[in-house]
Amino acid sequence: MDNFMNQALLKPLELLGQQLLSILPNLLAMSILLLGGLFTAWALGFFIERLLRVIGFDRLCDRLGMNAALLRGGVKTDPSRLVGRSIYWTVLVLASIAALGALNLSPINQFAQSLLAYVPHLVTAAVILLAGYFLSNFVSRAVLIAAVNAGLPPARLIATCSRWGIQALAGAMALEQLGIAQHIVVVGFGITWGGIVLAGAIAFGQGATDLAKGFLERRLGGRQKSGAIDDLHHL
Amino acid sequence: MTTGLTPLTAPTEARIREIGSAEILVGIPSYNNADTIGHVVRAVSVGLAKHFPGHRAVLVNSDGGSSDETLAIVARTVIDFQHFFISDQQSILHRIITPYYGIPGKGSAFRTIFEIARQLKARACAVVDADLRSISPEWIELLLRPIMEKGYDYVAPYYLRHKYDGTITNSLAYPLTRALYGQRIRQPIGGEFGFSGDLAAHYLDQHVWDSEVARFGIDIWMTTEAIASGARVCQSFLGAKIHNPKDPAADLSAMLMQVMGALFALMEQHQMLWSGQVGSQPVPLFGFPHEVGVEPIHVNLERMVSHYRQGLTDLEPIWRQVLASDTFTHLCDLQGTSSTDCRVPDELWVQVVYDAAIAYRKRIMPRDHLLKALTPLYLGRTASFVQATQGLTSTEAEQKVEALCHRFERMKPYLVERWQPPTLKPAAPALLHHATLDAGGTHG
Repeated sequence: MDNFMNQALLKPLELLGQQLLSILPNLLAMSILLLGGLFTAWALGFFIERLLRVIGFDRLCDRLGMNAALLRGGVKTDPSRLVGRSIYWTVLVLASIAALGALNLSPINQFAQSLLAYVPHLVTAAVILLAGYFLSNFVSRAVLIAAVNAGLPPARLIATCSRWGIQALAGAMALEQLGIAQHIVVVGFGITWGGIVLAGAIAFGQGATDLAKGFLERRLGGRQKSGAIDDLHHL
Repeated sequence: MTTGLTPLTAPTEARIREIGSAEILVGIPSYNNADTIGHVVRAVSVGLAKHFPGHRAVLVNSDGGSSDETLAIVARTVIDFQHFFISDQQSILHRIITPYYGIPGKGSAFRTIFEIARQLKARACAVVDADLRSISPEWIELLLRPIMEKGYDYVAPYYLRHKYDGTITNSLAYPLTRALYGQRIRQPIGGEFGFSGDLAAHYLDQHVWDSEVARFGIDIWMTTEAIASGARVCQSFLGAKIHNPKDPAADLSAMLMQVMGALFALMEQHQMLWSGQVGSQPVPLFGFPHEVGVEPIHVNLERMVSHYRQGLTDLEPIWRQVLASDTFTHLCDLQGTSSTDCRVPDELWVQVVYDAAIAYRKRIMPRDHLLKALTPLYLGRTASFVQATQGLTSTEAEQKVEALCHRFERMKPYLVERWQPPTLKPAAPALLHHATLDAGGTHG
C-alpha cells in the first residue's frame, strides 16, 4: 500500500514539484522582465512625450498638416501623446516577448523569435507609410499651387490625384514589405494604375478632342499671340 | 579685407592686372541681348567720354553664357565721338568681357562686377541692364555724379512709367520698403543703379550669393542693404524706361516669389532697423523731371480676376493658414458677382502683405509654397488697381500709389505687434562711414 502511495501519488507530485521548482527561476525572470519592461515602457513613453512637447513637435505636426489628418481620421490625441503611447506599447510588446522567451519553452521561443524577426519589417513599413504621407502632402500642395498659377481649372482634382497616387504607392510598398499578399498587391496596383491611365487617355480622346487638338497645335505650331495675353510689366 | 572670394576666369584676372586700377566702373549684365546691347555700350561709352573725360573708366560685361552675338557686339562696338561733339577724349575706356560663375541670374552677374570693382579699387560704379532701348549718355552722368561729387553711396533710378508698368513695384516693393525703412525710394527694384566702391565691397562681403538674391532678388536686396548699412542714398531722374519686351507668359509666380522672398528675408535680417521706424522721409532727387510719352499697356482684366477667383476657391486651405482669419473673411465678403469685378482695397492688401510676412517668418509651411500661393492674390490686387485707375491720368494713378504707401505706413503697428520678438542678436551696426541719410529734395 505504501509502495502504491509512493509510486502512484507522491512520485508524480514530487515530479511536479521538481518541474515547478525548475521553472520557478524562469517564472521569476519572466516577472522581473515584465515588471521592468512595464516600468521602462512607462518611463520612456512619459519622457519622450514630455521631450516632444518641449521641442514643439505638436506645432511642427500642425504645420505639416498631421493634426488635421489625425482629426479627419477621428484621432483627437495630440501627436506628442501619440508617439509617447506608441513607444510605451512597443517597449511593452518587446518586453513581453523577452519575458516569454525567459520561460525557455520551445514553442513559445519559436513564436517569440518569429515575432522579433518580423519587427524590422513592421518598422520599415511604418517608415514607408509615414514618408509617403509627408511626401504626398508636400507634392499635392506644390501641384495645387502650380496648377492654380497656371490657370488650370481642375487644379484640385490634379492635386488630389497626385496625393492619392503617392499614398497608394506607399501603401503598396508597405504591404510588400510586410509580406502580405505580395503578388496580389503588385498585380492589383499595376491593374489599377494601368486602368486609370487608359481611362484618362480614352476620356481625353473622346471627350476633349478639341482641347487635345488645340494643345498640340499650340505646342507644335508655337505659342500663338492672342488678345487673351496681356502685356503687363510686373517688375 | 579678403579678395579673390568670387571666382573670376584667368583671362579676366589677367585683364584686371593689365588695367591696374580705375576710378569709374560701369557694369552690364547680359544674356542673349544682341539686339540691344550695342546701343547700351554706345550710350555708356559716350556718357563716360562726355561727362567724365579725365577719369580712368572700365566697362564690364558680365555674361550668363549668351549663345547669340552679344559678346562679339560688346567687343567690336566702336563710337565716333565727333558725332557727339566730343573732340578731346582724354582717357581710353577699357573693356572687360567675362562670364560669371554661380547660380544663373542677374545677382551672380552683379557679384562678378562687384569683385572686379573691388580689385580695380573703383571709386564709383554703375550697373545698367543690357535690354534697354531708352538709355542715353545722360543716364551715366546721373548715376555716377552724385557719387563722384556729392558723396552719396547709392543712386536709385527714378523713371516715368505707364500706370500699369511695374505693378510689383507699385503695389509691393515701393510701399513696403518705404513703410519699413522710412526712405521714399520710388524704384527700389529699378534695374539701373549707381553705387560707391565701398558699397560694392560691402555687398560682396554678404553671404547671400547662393540664395534667391542671386536671381531676381538682387535689386531689392541692393537697395535695402544700402539703407541698412547706413549708406547715403539718393535718386536720379532718368526719364522713361523702355526695354525689350519680355515674354508676357514668363513665370510670374517665380518672379513674385523671388522679389517677395527677398523682401521678407531682409525683414527678418533687419528687424531691429525697421521695427522702430515711424513714417517716411523723402530721398533727394537729382536730374530734371519732365513729362514723357509712355508706351500703352494692354491689360486682360478678365484673366487676372479669373486667376484670383480660382485662388479664392482652390487655395482656400493654404490662404486660411497664411492669412489672419479676419483678413480671409474680408477677402471672401468683398467679392462681387461680375466676372471682371474684383475688389482688394488698400487696407485689405496691406493686411495680406503683413500677414504673409508674418507667416513667412513663422515658417508655417515651406516658404516656396507660401510665396507662390500668393500669386493669385497679387493678380487680384493688380486687377483691383486697374479697375480703380481706369480713365485716370498717370499723375492721378500715382496719387493712388501714394495713398497705398500711407496705408502701409499707418498700418505698420499691425505688423510690429504680430511679428515675433527677435531670437537673434540685433543687426550689425552700420558698416559704411555715413550714419544718416539726407532729407529734402524732390520725391515721387
